[in-house]
Amino acid sequence: MSNVITANDLTLSYESDEEIIKNANFSIKKGDFVFITGPSGSGKSTLLKSFYGNLTPDSGTLVVGGLDMVDIKKDKLQELRSHLGIVFQDYRLINEWTVEKNVVLPLWISGYSDEVQHTQAKRLLHHVKLSGKEEKYPMELSGGEQQRVGVARALAKNPFLILADEPTGNLDEYSSNVIWDLMENACHQLDTTVVVVTHRIPMVFNIPYRHFTIDENGSVYEIH
Amino acid sequence: MKFIKTHISLIFPLVAILLGLEFFIVFDRTTDSFEKSLKNGYSMMVVSKNEMSIDDFKSWDEHVEQVIELEKSKILERLNMTKESKSQKEFEASLPNFYSLKLDGYLTVKQLEEVKLNLQKSEDIVSIESFQSAYQSKYELFSFIKLAFQTFIVFMSIIGFFLIIKQMEVWNFLHAQRMKVMEIFGASLFLRSKVLINMALIDAIISALITSAIFYAIQNVWVRGSQMEILKENVDAMFAFTDILILLVASIVVVMIAVYLVVVNVKEE
Repeated sequence: MSNVITANDLTLSYESDEEIIKNANFSIKKGDFVFITGPSGSGKSTLLKSFYGNLTPDSGTLVVGGLDMVDIKKDKLQELRSHLGIVFQDYRLINEWTVEKNVVLPLWISGYSDEVQHTQAKRLLHHVKLSGKEEKYPMELSGGEQQRVGVARALAKNPFLILADEPTGNLDEYSSNVIWDLMENACHQLDTTVVVVTHRIPMVFNIPYRHFTIDENGSVYEIH
Repeated sequence: MKFIKTHISLIFPLVAILLGLEFFIVFDRTTDSFEKSLKNGYSMMVVSKNEMSIDDFKSWDEHVEQVIELEKSKILERLNMTKESKSQKEFEASLPNFYSLKLDGYLTVKQLEEVKLNLQKSEDIVSIESFQSAYQSKYELFSFIKLAFQTFIVFMSIIGFFLIIKQMEVWNFLHAQRMKVMEIFGASLFLRSKVLINMALIDAIISALITSAIFYAIQNVWVRGSQMEILKENVDAMFAFTDILILLVASIVVVMIAVYLVVVNVKEE
């Protein structure tokens, strides 16, 4: 199977700061479900950011979806991002937009018709158990509901890669289960690659997964 | 209410800037015609021993644009000395030549003094009357009004620009989060700023129309009804329909620069 993400001697740091990820070597294949764990401040989110081009590698190589992230052009990065599904711990919903408009953001960016957007929003909101809340605004929803909107948005365009940063960090058990179910289904049924940064892997997980961990020195290991 | 609040905070400074711009345009047009009327109404009186042509005058000073020779007979006519024809002819022959000189622009008092000094260098010229005191009082009044208006225009524009900078900060606060999220999902710069562009364009059009309406009203209600001659003479200079286009373009340029600066300064987290 082809690699969706390949890192060779990847080193990451923020401007003028010390290296956070050091000489990481790994590859993630199409259809893989990957958990990245590690202590706080170890660089889990930093590594995830580099996958969607929010952080440029200092050295080494990082290839995502066939694109070299070291010197990726702006238009190529936009193109790549439009095929990714990203979920944040703090949801990052657009508060002045309705739930439906938030969900279809990736479709709107890609210029899909209003009809397609509406149908897809309805379908996804049904999956995340938020049917009937299309016209609500994010601030009218609970944290768990907002995160489910965030997951629906990430799935809107059937991305080839879902990147999730602590998606269930602050959520109740019900919302967490809905989110894990959705991600499992996307991976299992649609062969979508899913990379999740988390503090703890859920106790019950129904599909095979890979587990990477980052130690305090910024080294990335795979736990078998 | 929210719509009015959102838009008024940009429309107000934009109108201030556009009022400044339109004042500048109108003032430029009216002062131009006022300068022309002052220039046309002014002439310098020169008395010379011998006949002089325009080239003779120009050789002493380049500002001389037109020379009108005053007929001696008409001068005598004014002096009521036309009854005895023989003595009149003798007297006329003994008279020097009188010229009225028109200049090429509305000169400063200093420039006028220089013209006088240059002409005095000619041995043929006996006397020059520049009517400097009347000229000076008109010139100083005109310069004062011009300076007062220009200061007002600059002041209004500065206030307008400061208010727009404040509005840019508000925009940054209101729109940055949305633009950041859209950027993460691969939206282009245009798409990210589309909401802001649409809003700013509406405000730019409204502001241009408000400013145009203000000047149209000034022209048709206040100036046409005014008893002041100077205003009535310049009524057409007060507002032209091409001004709407100028105001619209200026307004759009200002808001687009503001939008661009806001959008490019939104950095991804």
